[in-house]
Amino acid sequence: MKKILVIEDNPMVIKSLEFKLTKDGHDVIIANDGREAMKLLIENEYDLILTDLMLPFVTGNELISYIKKNTPNTPIIVLSTSTQENIIMDAFNMGVDDFITKPFSPNELSLRVKRLLSKS
Amino acid sequence: MKTLQNPHGESAIILLVESNVLERERFSHTAQQENWKVIICQNGLNVIQWLRTNNNADLLVIEENSTPISGYQIADYIKTELGLALPVIITTEEFSLEQEERMLAYAEAVLKKPFHSPALISQITTTLEKSIELSPAQNDYYSLNYLIDLSGGDSKFIKETIALFISTVNVELRNLKQVLEQKDYIRIREIAHGIKPSFEMIENETGSGICRLLDSEAKEIDMPKLIDDLNLEFSNINTQLIKDFPELILVK
Repeated sequence: MKKILVIEDNPMVIKSLEFKLTKDGHDVIIANDGREAMKLLIENEYDLILTDLMLPFVTGNELISYIKKNTPNTPIIVLSTSTQENIIMDAFNMGVDDFITKPFSPNELSLRVKRLLSKS
Repeated sequence: MKTLQNPHGESAIILLVESNVLERERFSHTAQQENWKVIICQNGLNVIQWLRTNNNADLLVIEENSTPISGYQIADYIKTELGLALPVIITTEEFSLEQEERMLAYAEAVLKKPFHSPALISQITTTLEKSIELSPAQNDYYSLNYLIDLSGGDSKFIKETIALFISTVNVELRNLKQVLEQKDYIRIREIAHGIKPSFEMIENETGSGICRLLDSEAKEIDMPKLIDDLNLEFSNINTQLIKDFPELILVK
């Protein structure tokens, strides 16, 4: 069972991601904001991280920097909205592996997660 | 006798896969009494063929050890490959708690054979009612298609998510009003950005469109009107949800 950290502040998106990823057989851990995520990242290691970029307290970019510095092999998928093209480009420049637009397509999510987990 | 009707006001249509002639007759007899329309399919493959050309079935009742493809596999195929939220009841003779748990991972209910009319009516009515209450008539304010697709028609998940939409968006709309009074336009954009996916998940284009404008394109001078429009749209969604899901605790 792979351990996936989901960092997101929209409760409906969290619930949907948790439902789908759990159904796909993953162990899902939720962080509702950047500060909570940072605490979890310091204390644990994850097989994959799904993160929003616009988060309270600690931004998605700050989290990505931390992850890339401390666990560079952990794959990261950015959860974005369609209005964030420039921000997504910045995230790719920081080394994220993939992005998914909210609300996500269930099958697309499963496939992208599976692809990255098989690589890691 | 109250006839259970589907969202189109027609008698419920049940697909049945049952190899035992006697059980099939028992089922058909009860169905006739209850005014359910039963389509007999020889096996799971016939079910899939039928569903590919007809989209109005309300329930599938299929035996666990159906051949050449088991009831489990057919239930899974319908949800994952055909993308249909068709409720499924798996029928079997004897089953342990462990087997029941396995069956319930694929189907909405398990029905024990031989069929006894009261148990049959009770189980089918309960399953159909759950399904029908998640199929409200088409309206201008929301659609459950995305949530049904995501969850394979899991009624608990869908209802919880609807309740979450109402409660969380309501809080954020209050926050929007507050930050508008403070003329904190950056925060307005952040809040709109945050709730946009919530409107998209219930396929409300007006709400998500307003959020998109507030998030990126709207001038500060236009924001009060857009926030009023968003509140009105939310109120309309809420009214429709109260009508369709009176059992949920919703915002007044």
